[in-house]
Amino acid sequence: MKLPTTLRAIGRPRRQQILPGFGLTMGYTVTYLSVLVLIPLAAAFVSAGRLPMAQWLHLLLNPRVLAAFRLSIAASLIAALVNAIFGLLIAWVLTRYQFPGRKLLDALVDLPFALPTAVAGIALTTLYAPNGWLGQWLAPLGIQVAFTPLGVVVALTFISLPFVVRTLQPVLADLDQDLERAAETLGAGALTVFRRVIFPALLPALITGSALAFSRALGEYGSVIFIAGNIPLVSEVVPLVIMTKLEQFQYAEAAVLAVTMLLLSFAMMFLINAAQLSLERRHQAKR
Amino acid sequence: MSINIEQVTKLYQGVPVVNDVTIEIQTGEFFVLLGPSGSGKSTLLRALAGLTHIDHGRMSLHGRDVTELPARRRGVGLVFQHYALFRHMTVANNIEFALRVRGMKAAERRQRRQELLQLVALEGYDDRYPSQLSGGQQQRVAVARALAHEPAVLLLDEPFGALDAKIRVELRDTVRAVQRRIGMTTILVTHDQEEAFALADRIGVMQMGRLLEIGTPENLYRHPATRFVARFLGAANLFLGEVSRQGLHLGAATLTPDRLMPQTTAGAEAVLVVRPEDVEVANDQDSLQSRPFATGTVQMLTFAGHQQHVNVLLDEGSGVETAITDGSRPGAAVSVDVLRSAAEQVATPLSVGARISLGVRRLHALPTPISSFQILAADESAASALELSPLLSQLVRSMQARVLRHRMGELRADRLDAGICVLTLNSDARAAVIAAVAQGARRVLCIPPHAPLPGRLWVHASDAARRSDLLALVSSVMRHLPIEACAVTLQRTEASRREVIDAQRTLHDTRADLRGAHGLDLRGERFVGDLHAWLAHVVAQPEAALVVLGLHTAQPELTELLSGDLAALFDGGSRTAILFAVTESS
Repeated sequence: MKLPTTLRAIGRPRRQQILPGFGLTMGYTVTYLSVLVLIPLAAAFVSAGRLPMAQWLHLLLNPRVLAAFRLSIAASLIAALVNAIFGLLIAWVLTRYQFPGRKLLDALVDLPFALPTAVAGIALTTLYAPNGWLGQWLAPLGIQVAFTPLGVVVALTFISLPFVVRTLQPVLADLDQDLERAAETLGAGALTVFRRVIFPALLPALITGSALAFSRALGEYGSVIFIAGNIPLVSEVVPLVIMTKLEQFQYAEAAVLAVTMLLLSFAMMFLINAAQLSLERRHQAKR
Repeated sequence: MSINIEQVTKLYQGVPVVNDVTIEIQTGEFFVLLGPSGSGKSTLLRALAGLTHIDHGRMSLHGRDVTELPARRRGVGLVFQHYALFRHMTVANNIEFALRVRGMKAAERRQRRQELLQLVALEGYDDRYPSQLSGGQQQRVAVARALAHEPAVLLLDEPFGALDAKIRVELRDTVRAVQRRIGMTTILVTHDQEEAFALADRIGVMQMGRLLEIGTPENLYRHPATRFVARFLGAANLFLGEVSRQGLHLGAATLTPDRLMPQTTAGAEAVLVVRPEDVEVANDQDSLQSRPFATGTVQMLTFAGHQQHVNVLLDEGSGVETAITDGSRPGAAVSVDVLRSAAEQVATPLSVGARISLGVRRLHALPTPISSFQILAADESAASALELSPLLSQLVRSMQARVLRHRMGELRADRLDAGICVLTLNSDARAAVIAAVAQGARRVLCIPPHAPLPGRLWVHASDAARRSDLLALVSSVMRHLPIEACAVTLQRTEASRREVIDAQRTLHDTRADLRGAHGLDLRGERFVGDLHAWLAHVVAQPEAALVVLGLHTAQPELTELLSGDLAALFDGGSRTAILFAVTESS
């Protein structure tokens, strides 16, 4: 069969590569992504589509669902923000200083990844319950963590920390320290050096890390349900509402909630990525 | 004086990476710090910029002491090898950074920026980002940025290192032109001697944290003081020659050097520097325009554009000896590098294997008293132990000086005054020193077995008459060891005010003499007590040391001194090495 040259050129590597077989690898990639990602997502949309539009709105405007959405988004945002600040601090300490136990501390950052989320949830609940190690000191101050929205924030902060730290670390390590020295010799104080030189260089990575942390927090289920107490209208997150619907065999409603969640977080990611892209494009314009 | 660096020392894990460096740089001067990597030149520059803490010394810019000031208040402009531009800022914002930090108004900033961009020939690049510029353009921006706040001095840290050869030369000329136009005092750090020659008013050569020599490019090239500088600033043939009243003897030739060496005694050995372009080649001796010194065979011819490299193997028995360690046995054939111009190539065509005569047009004798090391040992194993000792092996490595071995007592008397005699510091050392001195040895180094590399050099500076001999030795050692050098004067416990002032003056004079004659600096210290007590104190220190002392040749006094005041040094178990400078008793 004779193909037009332009078509034949598609997918052909510009120069000989070490690993051949673009066709094969591309085929696997597409199949793999379809089976694992696209088909389940499509299924969710199909199930959601079984419900009439009027019922969609009715379901989403339900005060309990609305409250859950509000809590999920707000708590995830706060968690991402807290991690943006403290994750930056941790990444800074881990890359800039040499001290005994640095490797251990570095490994500790991955713990929220490695730990089963339920274990984390139970541990946090034990700590922050009014009679727990930390809770008993906070209770007299009128601060209740467990079984409140604050607890949700604590759990989400815990599980999303590694995303910020791990995204920032390589960028910080690669950051040429001569930049700071240059700024210093030009007359900048420590604060100016950070604000005008270091922070702008880290910002793209910081946004990426925080976006990852946010989306991870949004979908978190395991650790939250233990510490949240799951009080409707107060401390119930969206994944839990979906779970409840599933347990009541309201599959279509669960799918509607899931799809809404998906679209919301997709929109959020899109916005953040767009902002970050424009930042990068401005700073690292093409040669 | 625009920049004054005084006795600046920076230690890294206890080892000096910048070692008692003293430099004075004139206003408007272009000064180049030249040295191999790890020589401490960048560290010194960063210390001057305030980016590195120093352990000792003072620095001042235009008379203002900046030693304690943070980098941002020193008023220096620093340019880095990899530009260090702020990538998220436009060219305009990069250049205006220092002005913005100082709160300058936008209109004034813009005007200053335009001036600077014009200065580095980058008008109209205001709104580009660094990543949109080539390496050379980025470095121009970096230079403009460093000049924005009208710094007191401009510091350039290997600024052309990351650029292609062609751009490098172009930017080099730009930097030189800019520096000339605004008359900015500038220090540039580089490891490229060609770059140093092209830019410098004066060059300071650094090695192992020590400022070896300072001088104009031509002076350093023509009259180096050390083997290292002779070879670092271009190719050089180094030979061992002899000095007599008639002049310098190199092979068959007797020559008058370019510049007479200070205090050379007749019969002494000297290191002769002959640049490849100063060697003349002819088919026979009579055709030579210059003094013939040897004959040889062409070994290799290399084409190098307008020049030609010729490597000539000298005939055996030519009497020419190399002054550097190249693993060859004494008396082995020596080869000479020759560089011939196009005219010479036409006049005398050469082919490999041709028999030729060599003449020398110009030569220079190094002023170092350490022309070679003569090991005096009872047997081969003792000689090997000495040669492997940390002190001697480090000295030999960094000086690249020849080491010759002699059986104790078998050395020809006329060779003993050459270079430095090296002995093992054991129970027989006292007798060996006396015997060597009696035979004519003038510089004797005694190294205790198993002693580590000394971290500190002590020179006993009280005796003004012998100071120049002592300091010549001290400077040679200081230039080749990572060692902290310190001059000591002794003072009695019940010293009068007068004596205290004299002691202080002696220290001052010693420093001034060393700086004047050799361009090096050392610390000064007064010790309360006599020579015996001081040496006992030195030996008792945990740090291994090298003591430099003067001796007289007069027999009974020498014996008495060695077993009296110097007894502590010869006692068993001492880790202190001794270097004697011996002068004739008058």
